[in-house]
Amino acid sequence: MIRNLLKQWTVILAAALAVAGCSGSGGDAKGNARVRWAYMLPTSWDPVTSRTGADINPVSIAYASLTRLDKQGNVQPALAKSWAYSSDGKTLTFELRDGLKFTDGTPLDASAVKAFFERGKTQKDSFLRAEIESIASFTADGPRRVVFHLARPDYQLPYVMAGRVGAIASPTAAAKDPAKLALWPVGAGPFKMVEFVPESHAYFVKNPDYWDAANIHIQRLELTTLSDPSTLIASLMSGAIDVAPIAPKRVEEARARGLQVTTAPSLISSDLMINRNKTPFNDPRVAEAVRYAIDRNELVRTLTAGLGTPSNQPFPPHYFAFDPETEDRWGYDPARAKALLAQAGYAPGSLTVEIVINPISNEGLPELLQAQLARVGIKSKLRLIPPGSSSWQSEVYIAKRPAIAVDGTVGRESPIQNLLAVYGPQGIMNLSGPYSAPAFLKAIDEVRATPIDDPHYAERLHRATRLGVEQGPSVWLFSTPIVIASRSRVKNLNIVPSQLRWEGVTVE
Amino acid sequence: MIRNLLRYPSARAAIVILAVVAMLAAFGPSLAPHDPLAQDSSALLQGPSAAYWLGTDALGRDVFSRLLAGSTVSVLASLLSVSIGMLLGVVPGLLSVFLGKRFEWVSLRLIDALMMLPFLVFAIAMTAMLGNGLTQAMFAVGILITPAFFRVSRAAALSVANAEYIEAARLMGASTASTIRHHVVSKVLPAVAVSAASMTGACLSIVASLTFLGIGVVPPDPTWGGLLATDLSALYDRPFGPIAPALLIVATVWALNALADAMRDAGTQEQRA
Repeated sequence: MIRNLLKQWTVILAAALAVAGCSGSGGDAKGNARVRWAYMLPTSWDPVTSRTGADINPVSIAYASLTRLDKQGNVQPALAKSWAYSSDGKTLTFELRDGLKFTDGTPLDASAVKAFFERGKTQKDSFLRAEIESIASFTADGPRRVVFHLARPDYQLPYVMAGRVGAIASPTAAAKDPAKLALWPVGAGPFKMVEFVPESHAYFVKNPDYWDAANIHIQRLELTTLSDPSTLIASLMSGAIDVAPIAPKRVEEARARGLQVTTAPSLISSDLMINRNKTPFNDPRVAEAVRYAIDRNELVRTLTAGLGTPSNQPFPPHYFAFDPETEDRWGYDPARAKALLAQAGYAPGSLTVEIVINPISNEGLPELLQAQLARVGIKSKLRLIPPGSSSWQSEVYIAKRPAIAVDGTVGRESPIQNLLAVYGPQGIMNLSGPYSAPAFLKAIDEVRATPIDDPHYAERLHRATRLGVEQGPSVWLFSTPIVIASRSRVKNLNIVPSQLRWEGVTVE
Repeated sequence: MIRNLLRYPSARAAIVILAVVAMLAAFGPSLAPHDPLAQDSSALLQGPSAAYWLGTDALGRDVFSRLLAGSTVSVLASLLSVSIGMLLGVVPGLLSVFLGKRFEWVSLRLIDALMMLPFLVFAIAMTAMLGNGLTQAMFAVGILITPAFFRVSRAAALSVANAEYIEAARLMGASTASTIRHHVVSKVLPAVAVSAASMTGACLSIVASLTFLGIGVVPPDPTWGGLLATDLSALYDRPFGPIAPALLIVATVWALNALADAMRDAGTQEQRA
């Protein structure tokens, strides 16, 4: 049996090598541009049931959103060519472009947009509900005008609509079989799906009806799941893939291998999620002790090849929601951590916690955190969630079982959306959910009610960040830029905060 | 048999290697010059030196110490799987010959079903169900190697089931259990021992494969497979890194297979004599 197994492995390996060897690095025989992108598949291809922030990258292949972000994070027109708030801020009107249609031929008009958001409000398994709770109702005022009637002023919505929340799906496909949309997207995005194998890959061809099709220079986009980080660079070199995100510490290797490396400011931040509903973190002194126990500079030095920035909040210093006052609150202070633990009744070595980690957690980060906690007398065991696309989501984001877990965020289109994802009552990265500090939620409402160009906007936004960080127990570690390695034939990568987009990307 | 065994040069070499491995498994952690879990952020990814014989990994841990410390888990995990496989395979294998047609048919179908299960997928599913621990993963591997022991012990038992001395024992009123214990087990053991040696080698490879994939052993505990995975991920900085754990795995698996081959050949010679 073992011999047979070994023979099978040998045959599979030989076949894989043959396929890798045969796969060319350029376009197909007709000269059509093809790009193979290694990333992750989404938790759902339906924006209504998609669950994580990183889903926007695959979801935006097949869907177009009402708005989109530019490289600076400002909102720009997309499906909607313009939008306007009423003077009291309680009505938001989007004006759609002419001649939009989904890849199934259904017109993308005001009634389709209204149907999409109503499904987001009413569908039982919707993950959009919390994101659009400030909108009381929707009306289609003519074929191209959609009106959001707001329960209270919310000036963040144009940002929110630049992500998966505003990624409009075909009402025809949703009416026929909403469950099928989770496996087969029908949107009006830059590409149309032609093949999907769960846990493996999704292939797309260019959608000529996309509103910005003139800026799409790729004929075929092949999305495959990320392989082991140690083999990514080899896969890029062999031409098995063309584009992939890599860890900052692999930049030097990628460059040395002749790959093109693009780094861009991002909202990627790593954190140690803490659950205040579980022992021992139901004592705030223990959570506070962890904040002082972490030597963020050591994490950055060891893990990010100097590209990261130590951080005490979910935003990097370059981002407008970054609060300078919060940044110096929790420096590395093991003595203070030990004192807090002693006050909480834990002698050195008497506290043991189980840290839950992801199979794709930042390489080495869990072990480093374990060693740093040990220095202040907190013993820990690491528990790896088994591989599988949905196990982390169900165990951590939905069931919120761990007391402490290593995680991170890729950011959201709106800073308020990002803060609610990590500290809000329904936030998937709020391990203490549904707990959310009332003062924080009040500050969030104040920011939402403040127009972006209001002189008080920045100050209120910083206050919301500060209250979230102070009153939520999670410990922020460091932020990193997004690092994309690609073959030299792929040019002009288009990276906006929280997303890799394909408009303007060319292939030689 | 041992005297016959030592006539084979490959067996002698295998025994020496296995003795070293056994010593590493027994005393490896205490022989390690450094704490295998101690990190030194000022000595990341260093090459071999007097302080660190095999260099350091991406977290500044001494690779040589981790290799020594990982021996115990790697070897014990293989032995655990083989013990489970032997327990679940040999007893039913013998009974399938002596307990009548119905038991034979049921046990053979069960074994056929087990043979169809893919190793890694089954082990991954077991750890997903029971938790990601080495015991769970090794239990899964033990179940999956059961058919090998079942078939070997059954074949050996079949070859003696109709022997005159077995019939004589039955005619004299010996029970099935007594007959198996006194007259069959001694004939089956050599074949089982050969299988056990070769299966231990196979299990060592499987343990290495599983820990390479992050299944079974959770960081920061070192294992040979885990070290290989870590070293491969730092291939650019330490191109020689994977050589030591890979050599250790290859040498041990080779020794176990060579010993199994020699035991088989020595047994055959004894039977001819």
